Amino acid sequence: MRWVKGIVKGVLVALVLFFFLFPVYWLVTTAFKKSEEWFTWPPTFWPSSWTLGNFMGVEGGFFGSATTAIATITPYLRNSIVVALFVALLSTVISALAAYAVSRFKIGGMRFVSWIISIRMLPPIASALPLYVIFSRLRLINTWWALILAHLVITTPFSTWILITFFNEIPRELDEAAFVDGAGVGQSFFSVILPLAAPGLAAVATLSFIQSWGEFLLSLVLTTGKEAQTLPLYLGRFITGWRIAWGPLAAAGLVTMLPVVVFSLLAQRYLVRGLTFGAVKG
Amino acid sequence: MILPLLVILLGLTMYPFGYMVYMSFFRYSLASWEKPQFIGFSNYRDILRDRTAISSIDFTVLLLVVAVPLEILLGMAIAFLLRDTFGERVFRSALLIPMMVPAVVAGIAWKMLYNFEFGPVNYFLSLLGIPKISWLGTQFFSRLGVILIDVWQWTPFVFLVLYAGLQSLPRDVVEASFVDGASGFSAFRYIEFPLLRPLLFVVLIIRVIDALKIFDIVYMVTFGGPGSSTHSYSFYIYKVGVSFGWDIGYASALSVLLLLAVSLLVSLLIRMLRLRETLEL
Repeated sequence: MRWVKGIVKGVLVALVLFFFLFPVYWLVTTAFKKSEEWFTWPPTFWPSSWTLGNFMGVEGGFFGSATTAIATITPYLRNSIVVALFVALLSTVISALAAYAVSRFKIGGMRFVSWIISIRMLPPIASALPLYVIFSRLRLINTWWALILAHLVITTPFSTWILITFFNEIPRELDEAAFVDGAGVGQSFFSVILPLAAPGLAAVATLSFIQSWGEFLLSLVLTTGKEAQTLPLYLGRFITGWRIAWGPLAAAGLVTMLPVVVFSLLAQRYLVRGLTFGAVKG
Repeated sequence: MILPLLVILLGLTMYPFGYMVYMSFFRYSLASWEKPQFIGFSNYRDILRDRTAISSIDFTVLLLVVAVPLEILLGMAIAFLLRDTFGERVFRSALLIPMMVPAVVAGIAWKMLYNFEFGPVNYFLSLLGIPKISWLGTQFFSRLGVILIDVWQWTPFVFLVLYAGLQSLPRDVVEASFVDGASGFSAFRYIEFPLLRPLLFVVLIIRVIDALKIFDIVYMVTFGGPGSSTHSYSFYIYKVGVSFGWDIGYASALSVLLLLAVSLLVSLLIRMLRLRETLEL
């Protein structure tokens, strides 16, 4: 009986993994397939020869809407990196300050924290339109700043939340000892609390980076061209073409996905805690 | 110290929302040169007569009542399946991938999978003797297709949270029940499930709120089609407000309704979170 149970369990686990990983597998392999094998019947589950052509471009280009992935992707890649780095940095600084105030001095208290959570849950489409109108008056449309500011709205509540829980775990006696030794609030924050919360800061920066990197809707509304558009928009643009060059598109998708997957595995431990607002320790 | 955050959030959410509520009472389109004109509640009255709006609400509700419960059930089942399995840490990391991959990228992958002539989904179905399905071509299947992607994307979230929850349960209580002769199922029914219930509610509300906002997948895979059958509510607002019309007044009215629904759910969520304890406030 026991081995039957073991086999059933094994089969179920295999099915689960298959369902959840196959789409990613398909994207990754397609990125390395030659154009003859993008679409075949039966589908090509394992490329007969692997190619980097989808990344580097091939002679004569592809017949389709995305010609060569890497050549046209560069401005978008640059925008993505700049925006996501700025968002990660600013979001960490802003939310560390706020989280410290909430954790140590109870500023705002329950009311403030609840407000933060509600902002985190708000539908982005609802802020996209008014932001468009406001940003176009400020002449910010299609600039990095439009995206950075808009993304901060998504990342700061999340980061503040996680950091409050982090700061709470640092014993209060440490602050008090610093105060006794004559340090001010600022000094104790910078030289006592921040170093101890370093893993938390790293996690928050990473998660902010990921969220900004993959954000689509706000960027779609607030940008118009390759001066500011990020990778997700590059992907969104080419998928609506009438004939899609799947290989380069999959390759671009892979480039977009890779940092996110790596970073999220690194920050995994803090993810659950943040996503459920502390309902589970994780 | 809290000031920078306050400035950002007030300036970029509260002010725009106020502006939006205000605009929802005006006829205002960026596509025309007319000045905004006050028209009272007539944008709201239009929603009731707008068949695409009703159909987008219909589809969004369908997501709530089909996809979300499926995700909860599956996520819970997988949490129990993988508990104490050899290699659970690797599986847990692997299952993180669907929810972390940017939705746009997932959209590309699924659009390939759903391809009518050459897509792997139809290939797997053909192995079972099922004829090719036009996944993106009919109302029923395109809606089902979007639901499936949502299940793919968010079941891992439910799983991760419940798994962490399961591991934080007091082990000795469950073991004591086994000593007292309880079966695995009754331990689940009478001990684990009741202990997990508060967490389950939190997950449920978070999922409901997120499902109300679904946009990226729809944009990438179906672009709301065929016709308007997979317009999600957010997608419809986008269409009205940006891509087909720049009708800010009407889109604002639609957004206000969404905002009201989400606010109600969020206040429910906040009540369930027991913030005072978790944050030591």
